[in-house]
Amino acid sequence: MAKLTIDGKEIEVPDGTRLFDACTEARGETLPHFCYHPDLPIAGVCRLCQVEVEGMPKLTIACNTMVRDGMVVHTRNERVSKANQQVLEMHLINHPVDCPICDQAGECGLQNQYMEYGLYDAKVQMAEKVNKAKAKVIGPHVILDQERCVLCSRCVRFCNDVTGTGEMGIFNRGDRAEIDTAPGVQLDNNYSMNTVDICPVGALTSRDFRFQKRVWMLKAAEGVCPGCATGCNVRIDHEGGRIYRLKPRRNPEVNGAWMCDKGRMIYKPVHAENRLSDPERGGDKLSWADAGQAVSDALAGARLELVVLSPQLSLEEMFLARLLAEKQDATVVAGPAELGRGEGDELLLDADRTPNRKGLELLGVAESSAAELSGKIGSTDGTILLLGGNPAADAAVEAALQKAAEKSGVIYVGTHADETAACATLTLPGAMWAEKAGIFVNKQGRLQEFKQAVARRGAGREDWRILVEILGDDDAPVSLKALRTLMKDTVLPGTQADLNRLPVLGLVPGSLESGSRGEDS
Amino acid sequence: MNKPVEGNTQVGLSAETLARIDALVEQYPTKASALMPSIWAIHDELGYVPPAGVDALVEKLEVTRARVHEVLSFFTMYRTEPQAENVLQVCHNISCHIMGARNIIAHMEKKLGIRLGETTPDGKFALEGAECLGACGHGPCLQRGKHLYEYLTTEKVDDLLDNLRKGEVPRADTDRELED
Amino acid sequence: MSTNDNQILSRRFGRKDGHKLSVYESEGGYSALRMVLSGMKPDEVREVVKESGLRGRGGAGFPTGVKWGFVPEGAEEVYFFVNADESEPGTFKDRYCLDYDPHMTIEGTIISSFATRSKLAFIYIRGEFGWLIDRVQKAVDEAYAAGYLGQNILGSGYDLDLIVHKGAGAYICGEETGLINSVEGRKGQPSIKPPFPAVAGFLGKPTIVNNVESVATVPWIMNNGAEAYKAFGTEKSCGTKLWSVSGPVKNPGVYEIPLGLPFREFFHDYLGGMADGEELKAVIVGGSSVPVLPAAEIMNCNLDYESLQQAGTMLGSGGMIIIPQSADMVELIQVLMHFYFDESCGQCTPCREGTGWLHKIVKKLRRGEGTPEDIDLLEHVCNGMAGLTICPLADAAVMPMRSFIDKFRPEFEALIQETATTGPQTRWPRGEQE
Repeated sequence: MAKLTIDGKEIEVPDGTRLFDACTEARGETLPHFCYHPDLPIAGVCRLCQVEVEGMPKLTIACNTMVRDGMVVHTRNERVSKANQQVLEMHLINHPVDCPICDQAGECGLQNQYMEYGLYDAKVQMAEKVNKAKAKVIGPHVILDQERCVLCSRCVRFCNDVTGTGEMGIFNRGDRAEIDTAPGVQLDNNYSMNTVDICPVGALTSRDFRFQKRVWMLKAAEGVCPGCATGCNVRIDHEGGRIYRLKPRRNPEVNGAWMCDKGRMIYKPVHAENRLSDPERGGDKLSWADAGQAVSDALAGARLELVVLSPQLSLEEMFLARLLAEKQDATVVAGPAELGRGEGDELLLDADRTPNRKGLELLGVAESSAAELSGKIGSTDGTILLLGGNPAADAAVEAALQKAAEKSGVIYVGTHADETAACATLTLPGAMWAEKAGIFVNKQGRLQEFKQAVARRGAGREDWRILVEILGDDDAPVSLKALRTLMKDTVLPGTQADLNRLPVLGLVPGSLESGSRGEDS
Repeated sequence: MNKPVEGNTQVGLSAETLARIDALVEQYPTKASALMPSIWAIHDELGYVPPAGVDALVEKLEVTRARVHEVLSFFTMYRTEPQAENVLQVCHNISCHIMGARNIIAHMEKKLGIRLGETTPDGKFALEGAECLGACGHGPCLQRGKHLYEYLTTEKVDDLLDNLRKGEVPRADTDRELED
Repeated sequence: MSTNDNQILSRRFGRKDGHKLSVYESEGGYSALRMVLSGMKPDEVREVVKESGLRGRGGAGFPTGVKWGFVPEGAEEVYFFVNADESEPGTFKDRYCLDYDPHMTIEGTIISSFATRSKLAFIYIRGEFGWLIDRVQKAVDEAYAAGYLGQNILGSGYDLDLIVHKGAGAYICGEETGLINSVEGRKGQPSIKPPFPAVAGFLGKPTIVNNVESVATVPWIMNNGAEAYKAFGTEKSCGTKLWSVSGPVKNPGVYEIPLGLPFREFFHDYLGGMADGEELKAVIVGGSSVPVLPAAEIMNCNLDYESLQQAGTMLGSGGMIIIPQSADMVELIQVLMHFYFDESCGQCTPCREGTGWLHKIVKKLRRGEGTPEDIDLLEHVCNGMAGLTICPLADAAVMPMRSFIDKFRPEFEALIQETATTGPQTRWPRGEQE
């Protein structure tokens, strides 16, 4: 450990800590900066995080300085403040100050840091500024404004060191230097939009989000990406019931500061035209009261015999569905196992494109292949309950369901008018991931909580509530909190963990005893 | 120029140049470290680096296209467009300036009918300003290819331009081969 | 050329045959290498050089032997670079060394590589010196053929390869980490320090970068001993120094003189004073990046590191630019600000933006659109650059800028006042320099 004094405050940090991070701890906020990023190599070029270390003749940048025991550091004295102000002024002299039409406005490093460290009188006229390319499309998701760029090189370092794809560079030199992709090269890797996140100014913006919303109008909810088994922690930015963008939430144990472009676009189906908004039977919309009656009728006619789960469901939903099946002596399976597969990469995207296959495993629900599942459906005489995941996307399963629907009830709790909805005798509109709260278990076995961002479509209901109704049991949980309490001993037997208060970085049950993971931070 | 190698770009590299790049890759400790001399090898053949040259560098040196272009755009001597027959770079830095470089430049502009930074319509001459060429005690000076013409006067410049126009290259002040 | 007594580096300057191996050998060349390789240990060589007080002649003046000592003990892979990227305006001494006497630098390179336990060395020559690169390459080929380079040099068991590397037009590659990065096949942008190259440089391995003049001095020191070298110069500024002299003096050129010689003596006895019809106004003594001194101030200076520092300037690279009375100081600073604007690598914001800004303000003054506030603004911009960047290029622009204002403020004020009454005017043949 190293003891140091920062702005008169004594702190102790582990050896090998960057002075930048030590200053953040001591100050309760970061030093001004553009180029420093905890998940990228040090560049040291923006020159904003200058601090005075006693005993050193010159100011030094904190990002490239390691703490030493006994260091006495000043981050807010007159000399440092003056340097901060002057360096910031340098960043802004050629900046176009086109904030009114800039998507970054409201979350911009230049704006924010000017308010805190700048506040000088502008000395450069617009006509004297260096002109560079504006609104240049450099890839399927990213658009570049070179005039707004402060050349912090974060995007270049990201493409070189994180994805290793190296599409971007800083070309030319002096104040003619500019960020761009190499001639003939597109910024077209599956992580390209991270460059938008790490761009501290409005130089790289998202084509998807461009001119959609002023950022200060957005509300944020903490989510977990449902796009694959990695379970990247995300922030769902939404307003007025609409999701505008997903951004990664930093979780060093899972996704670092990144997420993939596929994941970013996964909010689109939430607003799809073919969302189910009301319970339906034979093409007729029903009220929930009538739908409840329809379920009762179906189960009275033919008992519940088969419950088919999907790895798209939350852990709570899986648990409750299993409970329902147990109570009604039905068989519970998941599948078809072939669905939700794709090609993975070495970074974040997993070949398993579902968020909660590990959840099924944790609850001991086996996955059936399409052939097995079709067989089971075919040999069922009773009512079949399908929960999410569109199992009929598989043709064999679809055929089996069509046949089953001719002889008994096929109830589908789904979100879209998909193949499964078309097979079902009764469809009940559930909630998509962003419309409900729950827990996903990622491929590491990490339990991660996601929260509701937007209201459900139409008359849609959270799946667990639908299940509670079907269960028709007085003992059924009345809240998500109660449900989690109920399931705790099944999910995390013999531990003190509280499913209602999962750590920020998630919880890996196996590593509970060692205490090495899942600490709140 | 020798036969271009396979490829759909217009200007290709000769087998000799490609072999030179291979040899440089052997000589330098890493493939990427052979980038500067490999660019020079392409320059030696063509006077600039065409897209096919970038392709060859990317392939043989296993560096990204962005890195090649970063380097190409960083150094003033590397070019990515075909160059004039005679690129004349006149030092306009302080020592040559004191010794009258601006008069030399003005004289050349008048004589060639172009401004600094331009190329004559016939493609024979390009006139460029250059930062210090390391001939400070011998100024004013200009560079053409590997050589410097020093102690420039308007008469010396006239003589140089007249000869070059005729396709003759006068002996440069730094050309000391006869002394060998 | 210099007088005979002081000739360590310049013995063959101006000779037509000095670049040949046979001539170099017949005049004692490669004897130092033979001696070193016949039993000395690398550390012993380093101690001699350290003892001699030789300081880096590229500009920073850091003791050469001390720098070598920063290579970590037991490092397996070490690289040695000779910096011949000579690009500091006013400096052309390394060109003389390599043009007239390439073998001395090559011998120095081999000894220095041995002392730093390097197996691969580079001579990095600026690309504009095209003819010189061919000349040095020829000399290197001769040295290989004679067994001074390659495997098992002179039967000593020491192996060294030497690559002549051609630069491509970037002042900043004279900064050692910029130079290293460019040889790695990147832009020649300086790296943040720490780590320093002696610990982690080329390809992440310990690397020493020395200036041509420093390296070329090493064979003489090995032959004659540290004491003999220290006999030249002053106590802290040991040895001789090459001065590149440009501007309207009677005899411009490269001179080797012992450090500490009074400028007055050098100016009159070596340079022959000003050319006919010219009068001395000022001198930039150590290359364009050091503060300018008016004639009256430089006349009483001695030419060594300490005296020049005391006088408010620096010895730098020894690129001595003589400025005549007829020169317009605002015009000259425009030339220099264009240079730093042109050559800033663009990496650090204060330098990238500051060099461009300074250039714009000076151009504005020269267009006749200046106001008295612009002089304050120039100082303001300098304050936002100095000491705030990775490498010294920002400071290299600030030092002349500040000193030109400091020492010749009336010329700036006169220009502003003059154009305030006459309106914008063109003082440059081409309007302005782009």
